[in-house]
Amino acid sequence: MKTERLIDVLARGAGPARPAPVARRLGPAACAGVFGSAALALGWIGPVPAAMVGAAGLWIKLIYGGALALAAAWLAGRLARPAASYRAAAAGVLLVVGGMALAGAASLLGLPAAERLPALFGSSWSSCPWFVVGLSLPALAAALWALGGLAPTRPRLAGFAAGLFAGALGAIGYALACRETSPAFVAVWYSAGIALTALLGAALGPRVLRW
Amino acid sequence: MPDNANQNELESRLRTLWLRAQSGDEAAYREALLQIASRLRGYLRRRMQSLPDDVEDLVQETLLALHLQRATYEPSLPIGAWVVAIARHKLVDLWRRRGRRDDLHQPLDDVDEALLVADQEEGGTRRDLEKLMLALPEAQRQAIWLTKVDGLSVAEAAAQTGASPSAIKVQVHRGMKRLARMVQD
Repeated sequence: MKTERLIDVLARGAGPARPAPVARRLGPAACAGVFGSAALALGWIGPVPAAMVGAAGLWIKLIYGGALALAAAWLAGRLARPAASYRAAAAGVLLVVGGMALAGAASLLGLPAAERLPALFGSSWSSCPWFVVGLSLPALAAALWALGGLAPTRPRLAGFAAGLFAGALGAIGYALACRETSPAFVAVWYSAGIALTALLGAALGPRVLRW
Repeated sequence: MPDNANQNELESRLRTLWLRAQSGDEAAYREALLQIASRLRGYLRRRMQSLPDDVEDLVQETLLALHLQRATYEPSLPIGAWVVAIARHKLVDLWRRRGRRDDLHQPLDDVDEALLVADQEEGGTRRDLEKLMLALPEAQRQAIWLTKVDGLSVAEAAAQTGASPSAIKVQVHRGMKRLARMVQD
């Protein structure tokens, strides 16, 4: 088929370009991811005691997860567009993570010295990151599906962003089941789990994001 | 510098066409794709000196990708950079499929001189996209043929096939996506 004829075929009836391509794919992925993560957390681990529901500990995790998910979605959206700059979005991610780190540090400084390490490590530091990763797997699958339908020309970075996004959604789900209360704990161990998911996404990106 | 002036001129001409195309002007879209094809040919020919017979196939594959991913363009992007990023992606993909490990390490030139060379002379293709279109599942093939080859409107195609207009649009989109996958050998 001659290229000029192909162009005729492509152009005929093409109409306008569809708006908001990133939101149309990441939106459903976010819903599926959060739902999957919450369902796994509640079903597999079990919900936090009712007393925790109004407490600051739970809300800090939800706000961190939510803010990071938004920043990561912004980053993923930039990486989904060929030649688009992603510097501002990357700065956004760093801002959220940095903000949480500051909140964690401030919370430790507000404690008597003897209580700092116990607060930082809590009772579940070694399992928390792995739970976050596990809970983020449905979200990772959904995020990679979402990006695979767009045009990521930097697949490793795009995979990393997908993993950050999924990890943040996994953290939101884990917040429903995690009994730890220290912001420092969240800043270190939740972030570790999210970072692991991001690295997993980066490893999968070049293989999975083909279009 | 002459090169920068040419690049800026190309960019602003193409950009005007492309933005009209994005809002639904099909004549502008056709013209934009013709100019892009000619530039792509020049760009790819220089980078595929070891695979000259594959150049036109890659031009077509890239045009198909540009079409399917139109929505990822946004006005803040230079149109040349957006096109080149997609062309490079397809080129790297081709090298990987051909197992040409050495080509993956060839330094890819700066975007600055990327689309300066126009080449309007079509080469031959190894692959016939029309044959592949005919091999699509019936609903997709028919929707594409009626609306994009025979030039019927979506409403007319819907009336002729008995499917709903939105079903026709879905089948066209699915067919084009499937076509893009089929060419990735």
